[in-house]
Amino acid sequence: MELSPFQLLEVMVAVAALLMLGTTNVRTNLTMFAAHTTFLAITAAAVGHIRHEHTLYAIAIMFFLIKAVGAPYFLRLIMKTIEVKLDIGAYIPTPIALHTGIILMGVSYLLARELPGAYVSADATYGAAASLSLIFVGVLMMVTRRLALSQIVGFLVLENGIFMFTLVKTHGMPMAVEMGILLDVLVVVMIAGLLLFRIKKSFEHIDVTKLTELRD
Amino acid sequence: MTGYHVIFPIFALSLPLLLIGVIRKLKARFQNRIGAPLYQPLIDVIKFLKKGQVISEHASLALGGASALSCAVCMLLTLSAPWLGVAHSIIPLDIFTFIYLLVFVRLATLLVAIDPNSPFGGFGASREVLLSVLVEPAVMLCLVSLAVAGKSTMMSQLFSFSDSALLHHSGLWLLAGCGLYISSLVELSRMPADDPTTHLELTMTHEAMILENSGPNLAAVQYTAAMKLAVLLGISGQCFLHAIGPLWTAGAVVQVVASCLTVVILAGSIAVIEGTVTKLRWTKLPEFIAYAVGFGLLCLFQAIGGA
Repeated sequence: MELSPFQLLEVMVAVAALLMLGTTNVRTNLTMFAAHTTFLAITAAAVGHIRHEHTLYAIAIMFFLIKAVGAPYFLRLIMKTIEVKLDIGAYIPTPIALHTGIILMGVSYLLARELPGAYVSADATYGAAASLSLIFVGVLMMVTRRLALSQIVGFLVLENGIFMFTLVKTHGMPMAVEMGILLDVLVVVMIAGLLLFRIKKSFEHIDVTKLTELRD
Repeated sequence: MTGYHVIFPIFALSLPLLLIGVIRKLKARFQNRIGAPLYQPLIDVIKFLKKGQVISEHASLALGGASALSCAVCMLLTLSAPWLGVAHSIIPLDIFTFIYLLVFVRLATLLVAIDPNSPFGGFGASREVLLSVLVEPAVMLCLVSLAVAGKSTMMSQLFSFSDSALLHHSGLWLLAGCGLYISSLVELSRMPADDPTTHLELTMTHEAMILENSGPNLAAVQYTAAMKLAVLLGISGQCFLHAIGPLWTAGAVVQVVASCLTVVILAGSIAVIEGTVTKLRWTKLPEFIAYAVGFGLLCLFQAIGGA
């Protein structure tokens, strides 16, 4: 398939997120998350440019600041504070998770071609395919990772997928709603970070598989 | 017999050694050393050629023969693979011929490793085989998806900036470039997979295989490694270059200069990786190679998705 620069950008958003499935190293994951979210912010700005909706520029800038800079920085801070050094991995081996993600990406392309919506151009199809595969990647990360920190990153990817879907496939949400969601995400990340802090304090680890064991 | 037929082989056959020099120099700068001059690998090869050989009493003719053979095949590849944007058409190079000539070079290297009966050579060889089995699908998927999209398996046509079927496939080119770059890091025994400067027997792959070589043999083996580096990096570099649309309509001179620059930049990136990254644990390597295979699969999606 031949891709225009805009479609290439959309595909790059999905591929950058997909690469996060290939490693359980939290620091690498956070860096890749930042890269993927930056691509998504650029996509939002590009959509704004194409559709002449200038509020999208503001959303893109806020999105970049909060999700591509703020969230990874905060999570890295948490990581340093609670000293996550051990890489305890995932329920399924990461190469298998990566290849599952790739297959799901193909599935999401097939799904996206059938989807109705306000925009049914090739741009919208690739965007919808990318956003569906972001949702798949996010769910896969939340389900398979054993480290609570990685599950938060998975949630953020899932959130990115929903944002991208509304961006490319619909007329978009009002700016106030979009800003509200971004603020919510910020709060969610902070609460989750604080929770991690508390879990670490009372259990001395953040491995979710061991959270069923009782402690006094 | 034009000037091109004389100058091109000399240039193409000496650039690989220069690339090794670039990598060593940059690595030295990373470690706060001045480092050897850029032409040091060439001097090394000449020095080894002058020296005598120590050959194990268990070794057969295969030791010298295989290293000379692999060197010769690699020279053929260096001249006919389009890693500089241009190539001699000594043999019409198919993507499958390309891959299996590389495999042939590896087979010869394995022979060199196993022939003298040394235990280090043996386990170096077994590691190399495991890595190559894992990497093979990645290289194959990347090149085959290019062939599917370009509707030709000839390398000279795929990598010529002229196959109009491939012009707007910048996504495919980028993914193929990433896949080939990662797999060439593994194939060349470069940093995340193997440390080329280590001499700790328990962890080395490529260096363990060439331990028994000395004198002219060692020169041949090192020159082979340099040429393999240049060809593999050059092919992945060509993928990145083909992703840049405006370059397709630029003149041949611009394309060749850009190709040379890209090869040097990629060699520099290897030096940067080796200066900053530590070697992966052996059990972690399949995860790293999974990235290359993953890029290959994405390429395949791209190639067959629109058809």
